[in-house]
Amino acid sequence: MKNVLIVDDSIAVSRQLEKIINDDKEFKVIAQGRNGAEAIKLCQQHKPDIVCLDMNMPVMDGLTALRSLMQLMPDLPVVMVTSLGGVGDKYTEAIRLGARDVISKPFEKESVLEMLRRL
Amino acid sequence: MAVKFFGQFMVEKGAITRMALLQAIDLQEKTNLKFGEMVIEMGLMGKEDIARIHLAQRSEDLHFGDMAVKMGLITEEQVQQVLTRQRNSHLYIGEALVKVGAISGQSLEKYLADFKRDQAGYVSEKIEIPADVPHQPIWEMVADLTYKMLTRVVGISFRPGPCTVIDKMPGRPIIAEMGFSGSVSARYLLSVSESTRNLVAKAILAEDSVENESVEILDDSVKEFVNIVCGNIAAKAAQLGHSIDITPPEMRDDSAHGIAVPEKHTGLMFPVYLSDGEIFELTIFVADR
Repeated sequence: MKNVLIVDDSIAVSRQLEKIINDDKEFKVIAQGRNGAEAIKLCQQHKPDIVCLDMNMPVMDGLTALRSLMQLMPDLPVVMVTSLGGVGDKYTEAIRLGARDVISKPFEKESVLEMLRRL
Repeated sequence: MAVKFFGQFMVEKGAITRMALLQAIDLQEKTNLKFGEMVIEMGLMGKEDIARIHLAQRSEDLHFGDMAVKMGLITEEQVQQVLTRQRNSHLYIGEALVKVGAISGQSLEKYLADFKRDQAGYVSEKIEIPADVPHQPIWEMVADLTYKMLTRVVGISFRPGPCTVIDKMPGRPIIAEMGFSGSVSARYLLSVSESTRNLVAKAILAEDSVENESVEILDDSVKEFVNIVCGNIAAKAAQLGHSIDITPPEMRDDSAHGIAVPEKHTGLMFPVYLSDGEIFELTIFVADR
C-alpha cells in the first residue's frame, strides 16, 4: 500500500480526493496539509510515497513548495492538483519543476487513480 | 472532463512522455519568436528600441506593437508584416512533437481528431452580450463554460436567461467571487440560494447528503465550484490566445443587501432558471479599459 499526503487549502477538495484515494486498496491518505509550508513539514515528518499538491494556495503556493521539495527529496513523486491544468504555461512550469503529473479539476475518479498507479 | 491543452491530453493518453513534451515545448519556445524578437530578426529595430518600448509600457497599458507605432519606431504596415511573419512561422505543439520524434506525422492527425472530440463539449455556443461591452467573446465563453460546468459538475437542469447590464446586484444570501487579471480585468461572482449551495456541495463532496455539514464546508464547496469553473475559463482563454490569471476564490460577506457595480466597471448579469425555482446567478464586473 502507498501512503499519500494531500495538501490543499480547500477542505471540500481534500475530502473529495481523500474519498477517491481511500476507496482504493492500493492507497491510503496518511496526512493532510493546507498550504505549501505545511507540505514541506509533513513530507519530512511522514515520508509519504506520493504527494498530491494544490497549485494555488495561501501562505506558500504549490509551485514554491514543489521547488523546495524537489531540492530536499528529488525522488519524491509529486502530482499537482489544479483547475489550471489546461493552461499550458502552468502545466509546463509544474512538469519542469519536477512534478510527475498534473491532476485537472473537476476530478474523474478513474483518471486520478490511474495517474497514481503510474507513479 | 476539463479544458485541456494538446500536450497535456497527449501525456494523459500515454501517447508521449512528459520529457518528450518538454523537448517539444523547448523547440516551440526557440522557434516562436515574440514580437520584439521578431522585429530584431527582421532588422526593423535594435535592442535599445525594445528596452525603450518596455519602459514606456510600464506607464501606459499598450501592446508592444501599438506602443512601437506610437513612439514612431515602426509603421502600422510594418506591424502587420511582423504579425504575418509570426503567424506563418508559428510552430504548433503537435508539429513540435513530430519534429522532436515523439510521434509520427500520420499519428498527429489522428490524435488531433481525438483531441477535438475530447474537447467538443467545451466549444462555446453563441450567447448575446449587450453592445459596447469590451471583450465580448471572452464573456460569452465565461457564461458558456459556467453553464457547461453546472451541467457536468453539479448535474442539474436549467435554462439560461438573457444577459443584461446592471447597476447593482440584487441581495443574495451566498455569493462567491474570484478576480480575473491579464488580458481582461474583472470580478466573477456567483450567487446561489441555500438550496442550490447544498446541491453544489453534494456534487463537490461526492456525498448523497450534506445535511450534517458545517456552513464552512458548504461555502467551501461553492468556492471550489467557482475555482473549477474559473480555472477552466483560464485554460479556454489560453486556447483563444488570451492570458487570464485568477485569484483564490472568496465569499462576499456584504451580499445580503446587494452589491453596487464598482465605478469604471460594467455589470453583466446572467440569470439561470433552475427547475425548482431556486437561485443561481452569474454576474461579472468588467473593468473598463
